[in-house]
Amino acid sequence: MDDMAIAVKPKNTFLRGISNESFISLFMITVLIVLYGVAGAIVPNFFLPRNVLNLVMNYWFTIILGIGVTFIMVTGNFDLSVGGNIAMTGVLSVYFCQAAGVSQNALANGLGLPYGVALALAMVCALAIGGINAFFVTKLKVPSIIVTLGTMMIARGVAQVVTQGAQRNTSLPDIFGVVGNASVGNTPIKISVVIMAVLVVVAFVVERKTVFGRRTYLIGANREAARLSGVKVNRHLAYLYLTSAFLAGVTGILLASEFKAGVSGRATGYEFDALVIVLLGGTSINGGFGSVLGTVVGALVLGVVTSAATGLLLSPDWQFLLKGIVTFLAILAQRYALDRRKS
Amino acid sequence: MKARNAVGTVAVNAEPGYLDPYRNRWIAIVKASYIYIVFLLIVLVFSVVKLDQVRFFGRGHFLSPVSIVNLLRSSVPIITLAGSFTLLMISEHIDLSVGSAMSLSAVIYALLVRSGVSFLPAFLITMVLGVLCGYVNGALVMKLRITPVIATLVTLNVFKGIALLIVPNRISAIKSTDTIKMPLWINDYARKAVFLRLPAAFYVAIAVVVVLVIVQRKTILGKYTAAMGGNRTAAELSGINTVRIGWILYIIVGVSAAMAGIARASYMSLGDPLSGDGMELDCIIAVLLGGTNFYGGEGSVEKSVIGALIIVCVTVGLMTVVPPFWQMVARGSVLIFAVTLNYLLAKD
Repeated sequence: MDDMAIAVKPKNTFLRGISNESFISLFMITVLIVLYGVAGAIVPNFFLPRNVLNLVMNYWFTIILGIGVTFIMVTGNFDLSVGGNIAMTGVLSVYFCQAAGVSQNALANGLGLPYGVALALAMVCALAIGGINAFFVTKLKVPSIIVTLGTMMIARGVAQVVTQGAQRNTSLPDIFGVVGNASVGNTPIKISVVIMAVLVVVAFVVERKTVFGRRTYLIGANREAARLSGVKVNRHLAYLYLTSAFLAGVTGILLASEFKAGVSGRATGYEFDALVIVLLGGTSINGGFGSVLGTVVGALVLGVVTSAATGLLLSPDWQFLLKGIVTFLAILAQRYALDRRKS
Repeated sequence: MKARNAVGTVAVNAEPGYLDPYRNRWIAIVKASYIYIVFLLIVLVFSVVKLDQVRFFGRGHFLSPVSIVNLLRSSVPIITLAGSFTLLMISEHIDLSVGSAMSLSAVIYALLVRSGVSFLPAFLITMVLGVLCGYVNGALVMKLRITPVIATLVTLNVFKGIALLIVPNRISAIKSTDTIKMPLWINDYARKAVFLRLPAAFYVAIAVVVVLVIVQRKTILGKYTAAMGGNRTAAELSGINTVRIGWILYIIVGVSAAMAGIARASYMSLGDPLSGDGMELDCIIAVLLGGTNFYGGEGSVEKSVIGALIIVCVTVGLMTVVPPFWQMVARGSVLIFAVTLNYLLAKD
């Protein structure tokens, strides 16, 4: 950490030309490379190509969620409802798709809707959660962390009610399991990972090159100034919450398809994982600062740490402690680096 | 949007009151007492909902002595925490790590008791642990100036991680094993009736609430807390050491979490590293139900305790009416309801 700061301190030109966001992204990439090297040195078999691929492949859902959460956090708000939303959308897509009246078991009977209709309806429900979030945050001016905690519980609760606290996995049409398990050509790369990559690129372009993206930063930096300069702040926030809910819905459907089951406990804690990678990526919790690229790097950092811990045969109980410590160190290191850069 | 302090509320109230003096008074009465009305309504609903099957106050009825005692016994942790959490939220801070701190305390307490430490030392050591948890939170938020939500989210993971690591692999909690037995007296604190069929833990919780009510109303700490939540800059400019006040509040919350953890461990006679999960949500719901402004500045300890009782009533009452997987929806809805109520009352 110390020599990082020394490298930054001189008023050199190549670092001066870039924005603070890019600077933090570069900083975190450096951290990632160092961590990767350290992990490779102490964990056996860490450098296998298969492992490198897994780092990305195992985190596609967190990264998709992270995109929506990054934008919302740049405006200075939270979205903790994404985890519950995944569970709800997945369960509902299964429920709508299951054949009707085929069994005595209530969990084996669904609504028997066609595949496309079922997915569309599930997405509508996902967007409804986003709508509730948007309504309470923009109209009633309730702190977003509290509203989204409430919708998190409601969404997960709906999933539990529909599955009676368990899961639905029978009488599904074959087509249901296709999207989540299909891969590109003969490679082990899944469609889900491709969708993630496309979404990251789109989000990056929106963030850097569109008016919409720049307005997001303006709202986060100074909401009142944004409003006075004609930005429709409430509508903008509503779009962002709907987008985040949409991404959560897509993830929920992909995950339900991958396991060909709607599990009420799916995605427990994903909202915190998404928050953690966004924070690791340098997005400021106070808004106005952050980038999707950083979030992707954050996901990779978390991936390296977690898989290194697994490789060292630590018990899964370590993951909470590790996540906490890594986040804490990252926040401190980023603030320190930014302060040194400014002075 | 921010800083609705006492003075501001009065000024807003004065406007319609000028035209209609009675309207103003009614609003004030509703604002002051709505939480008690909501509480009574909920109790009423749950006591009539199954009257076709059970006799009033009879066995299995929501208001039968046995179920009231059970309800109050199981509400000890949330009552212990609601008061200090209110003070923290009045100062415009939050502590998401209370659940984890509570789990960690429960684990440590159970571990101490199992290894032969007697009640008082085990109690005190666990309280010291609570002070430590609160101190760490206070240091992160007040000294290092990390946003409360993030700082306490970090400590949530850290405390929970430590609690999980203390409990040996492949065992779900600290409890009696083949080689080492958990003493039977661990149960006494939270289950053995000392007065009116209620255990000592309940009276300790009530004592904590009383102390915190006095702290809020009669001490400088209470005044400074409200001042800090109303307008932190103004408070600092008028010479209040906000860092120290906030730090003290976090420590109080940590101690309360430790006491809640002891009560929970004693109630279940084991140290479950996940027993406090979701407690932070219950605390937020209770405090918001009690009408504490979520932008800080005003609120009341005793109303949060009523809010806590509402949560417990809803949780326990619903269990008798609908299958358990409705719990989550009910809780989320109560939170959204509390938030809406809070907004409507703050708007007037």
